[in-house]
Amino acid sequence: MSFAFRLMFRDIRSGDLLTLLLALVISVSTVTSIGLFIDRLQLSFEQESANLLAADRLIRSDDIIPAEWEAQANELSLQTAQRTSFTTMMFAGDSLQLSQLSAVSDGYPLKGAYLVDDVLFGAGQRSTETPKQGEVWVSSRLASLLKISLGDQVEVGDAKLKVTKYLVRDPGSSTSAFAISPRAVMNMADLAATNVIIPGSRVRYSLLLAGDRASLDEYENWITPQLNEDQRWQTPTQRGERIGDTIGRAESFLLLAGTLAVVMSGVAMALASARFVKRHLMQVAILKTLGATPKLLGKLFFLQLFALFIVGAMIGLGIGWGMQEIIASLLSGLMSTTLPEPSISRLWLGAATGMISMVVFCLPLMSHLIKISPLSVLQPNTKIELNSFAIYAIGFIGMFGLMCLYTNGFLLPSIMTAAILGIALFVAAIGWLAFKLGRSLTSGATSGWQIGLASLYRRLIPNLFQLLVFTLIIMLTLILIGVKSSLIADWQQQLPEDAPNHYLFNVQDEQIEQINDQTTQLGLKKSDWYPMVRGRVTAVNDETVQSLYPEEKGEPELYERELNLTWSDTLGKGNELVEGDFTAEGLSIEQRVAKEANLDIGDKLTINIGGNIVTLPITSVRTVDWGSMQPNFYLILPKSALEDYPANFVSSLFVDDAQAQSFYRAMATFPTVSILNVGDILKQIQTIIGQLSQAIQLVLFCILSAGALVLLASVRSTLEERLEEGALLRVLGARGALVRQALLVEFGALGFFAGLIATIGAETCLLGLQVFVFNAEASFHPLLWLLGPAIGVVVISTIGIFASRTVLKVPPMLLLRGL
Amino acid sequence: MARNTAIKVSNLTHTVTSNTGNLTILKGINMEIKESESVAIVGSSGSGKSTLLGLLAGLDVNTSGDIFLYDQEFSSPSEEQRALVRGQYVGFVFQSFHLLPSLQAIENVMLPAELKGDKDARKKAEALLEKVGLSHRLTHYPNQLSGGEQQRVAIARAFASNPKILFADEPTGNLDEENGKLIIKLLFDLNQSQGTTLVMVTHDNELAKMCDRQLVMSAGQLTEKSL
Ligand SMILES: Nc1ncnc2c1ncn2[C@@H]1O[C@H](COP(=O)(O)OP(=O)(O)OP(=O)(O)O)[C@@H](O)[C@H]1O
Ligand SMILES: [Mg+2]
Repeated sequence: MSFAFRLMFRDIRSGDLLTLLLALVISVSTVTSIGLFIDRLQLSFEQESANLLAADRLIRSDDIIPAEWEAQANELSLQTAQRTSFTTMMFAGDSLQLSQLSAVSDGYPLKGAYLVDDVLFGAGQRSTETPKQGEVWVSSRLASLLKISLGDQVEVGDAKLKVTKYLVRDPGSSTSAFAISPRAVMNMADLAATNVIIPGSRVRYSLLLAGDRASLDEYENWITPQLNEDQRWQTPTQRGERIGDTIGRAESFLLLAGTLAVVMSGVAMALASARFVKRHLMQVAILKTLGATPKLLGKLFFLQLFALFIVGAMIGLGIGWGMQEIIASLLSGLMSTTLPEPSISRLWLGAATGMISMVVFCLPLMSHLIKISPLSVLQPNTKIELNSFAIYAIGFIGMFGLMCLYTNGFLLPSIMTAAILGIALFVAAIGWLAFKLGRSLTSGATSGWQIGLASLYRRLIPNLFQLLVFTLIIMLTLILIGVKSSLIADWQQQLPEDAPNHYLFNVQDEQIEQINDQTTQLGLKKSDWYPMVRGRVTAVNDETVQSLYPEEKGEPELYERELNLTWSDTLGKGNELVEGDFTAEGLSIEQRVAKEANLDIGDKLTINIGGNIVTLPITSVRTVDWGSMQPNFYLILPKSALEDYPANFVSSLFVDDAQAQSFYRAMATFPTVSILNVGDILKQIQTIIGQLSQAIQLVLFCILSAGALVLLASVRSTLEERLEEGALLRVLGARGALVRQALLVEFGALGFFAGLIATIGAETCLLGLQVFVFNAEASFHPLLWLLGPAIGVVVISTIGIFASRTVLKVPPMLLLRGL
Repeated sequence: MARNTAIKVSNLTHTVTSNTGNLTILKGINMEIKESESVAIVGSSGSGKSTLLGLLAGLDVNTSGDIFLYDQEFSSPSEEQRALVRGQYVGFVFQSFHLLPSLQAIENVMLPAELKGDKDARKKAEALLEKVGLSHRLTHYPNQLSGGEQQRVAIARAFASNPKILFADEPTGNLDEENGKLIIKLLFDLNQSQGTTLVMVTHDNELAKMCDRQLVMSAGQLTEKSL
């Protein structure tokens, strides 16, 4: 239907179609860029975490892994590798040492790399190879314990292996943090010859997988039903909970930002459509008098919209892609690794957003347009009202749907929609009252003040609508600023520079003093010593855990595994009492675990500590600052309950890179003490947090720019009337300054009220977001109360004056002609 | 000469609902207009002239009674149907011109032919604009034209579809005397040369007198003005 396009091309000159196109482009490009960027960040986190896992996915088993599992993985073109870990005695000359040994197949690790060195206690270089057949790599600690060096032989069972490297970091070691324990790696091919694995040995078998997401998902679906209770499917995100937490919050933020972008582009789309429809009503009526049938007009506009969608979506997707590339390249200097390429398949999100927003914001209005009676050409002054409830309802439902699609959930969209509805009601009430009041203060038109306020009142409905749009945009901005600053502050506080990065375990009473001497000599800051025993919760209020969770599924963490327990009379650093009495003769429980296990003060727990059964009531609930990296415990017992048990002690300390070697050397004289180095993980978290903070600032900036554009569009949508009025005023002899003053007052007042209401809304929303989405504590944001009205007045007046500068420049004659 | 009946109206009433209740604007109108006749409808403001014109042109649906254009029932409730008849038989000229502001003069005139899928739209439009004396302003936009010029473009557009009936609602209402005369001359010339039936609402007595017949609208009733 070439007529449709001819008409469309002619229409482009009027600028209305361009406004619509611009809205579409903004909507598609913001959603696309944020969507793609989130995808890249997620991929990047997954990769970084995969380094910790040494693979993309992992199956852990206590039995030998069936060969067909690996075959199936290979069939799906997944990379595979195997690791078998066990504890065994290693011999060298007349020294012997119980060690953690892992045998790995060629190709291990699939992700990440070994760090090895030729120097004892060296810092290590990356190695993507594994020990060759007949070779073994040993940790510096094991080497010093066995008194061996490179080139020496060690015996593992019946096999003799040659030491070729000192092992510094072992990717995918069984604890999420690398224990500086006696440890060694050998080639899988030598395993059989050792004869150390006999029926009944405690061995952990792992099958590592790497490959594209689709194949991994397919494999997961295939394997899951075959896993028994001693076998686990592991993903990178399950490990390193702290990283997961950080990433989770950042994702929530980016999703929130994206959702707000969806809302903003929805508003932009609705504004542009309304403007388009308003300006085309008379045209459609005229076309009808010329004999255009509704069917023809329907086809005409549908084709136009469709063409517009195709063009807008292409441009939007292109810009979106470019924008996220720019964000990524701006960040690349700050990132330790390059971001993975975004998945092209994510582009559909932007396209779908464009399509849906056209359908919900444009089509209903367009159908209105087509229904206009041709009679209106005879009654030039009839006003065509577009305030149909159905149009708003469709728009709202559409926006909600879009947000759900975008966030893949209901919570965030529900909070946002409730907020927007609330704000709409509020604006209607407050705005009406305020303008009503303004009117009574303004009669006559002698000053810019009076003209400005009077014109606010005169266009009550359009102004209220504009107030709503301003309020919404400012509110969204404030929410983002609020969330961003609390998020980043939270993170920074979470991980101080000198957070402890090493733990000392298994320290005996009599070793404490010697170790204290060593660390003070090295000038290391160390936390207090905590006594520690291991115990397992066996019953809750006299019901056994087994009877509560017979399937061993969905068990709260508290019952799932053996816990580290301590006893203390005083609340440690980083702990805060929430409820109850810490000094009472009972258990003190950490709040989150308590919530998960649905426990409260008064509930009785039975704990098995090395065969001794203790039953105690819960008498207090604590929060624990896990970020403090101090030794922390889910359960703290009263001193009396554990005093007689043989305990060992635990402490944490910060060791910087320069001191690491001397510290490890000093600790080599305490063979029984386990050292856990969490420095790598900490560093990784710090890098990720750095990246995220930057990313969030940039995304915020993008959204704010989009917001400013929406504001501009909104001001433009009432421009015609303002231009006409300004021209009339000037024809009537008003000086330019007076007109400018009037505009300033009008926009300033709109901006102030919008800012004020937005602040109230933002504060309420932040409350909901903090509590429900970010699982943080609610807090008050005094800064927003300053920022809101200020942004309102400054930004809105600036944009308003900028948009209507033509009112002041163009000769009034020209304006009156054109209208 | 026994001319065909172009428009036949019987017992036409029209009632609208407004916020103050029902308002009957037209109260039983009967009339007949022959082919290529020129008819003026006069009457005081608010008497219902525009409403009648709108109904005759099928821009709205009457409440009761019948309208026939060339013996075709024209009070069909289907907007689709009426639009088709309108495109075929009817041309329109308005007091406030109603050109599409985003289209050039020539494009405005091309519209009716284009709507019918006519390939020669541009040529015909050029010829028509030439006839109304605007061949030098083809690519100008409405806001670059004076009121009189705009109305001439509107007349060219109205004749672009070769209408059998031309409705005009106060075509000179917004124009000065000189321009008004020019427009009137154009209308009557085209009326004569193409045999178009002309139905015109006007407050201008001079103009009314130039028509074959004058009908007076008063409080929703139509009467013939005896000459
Ligand atoms: N849709 C409507 N709703 C309510 N009242 C209407 C409607 N349409 C027309 N009217 C009223 O019907 C009356 C006749 O209107 P109409 O436009 O036909 O008058 P007119 O004779 O053309 O007047 P004028 O000479 O001023 O143009 C007027 O009082 C008008 O207000
Ligand atoms: Mg009228």
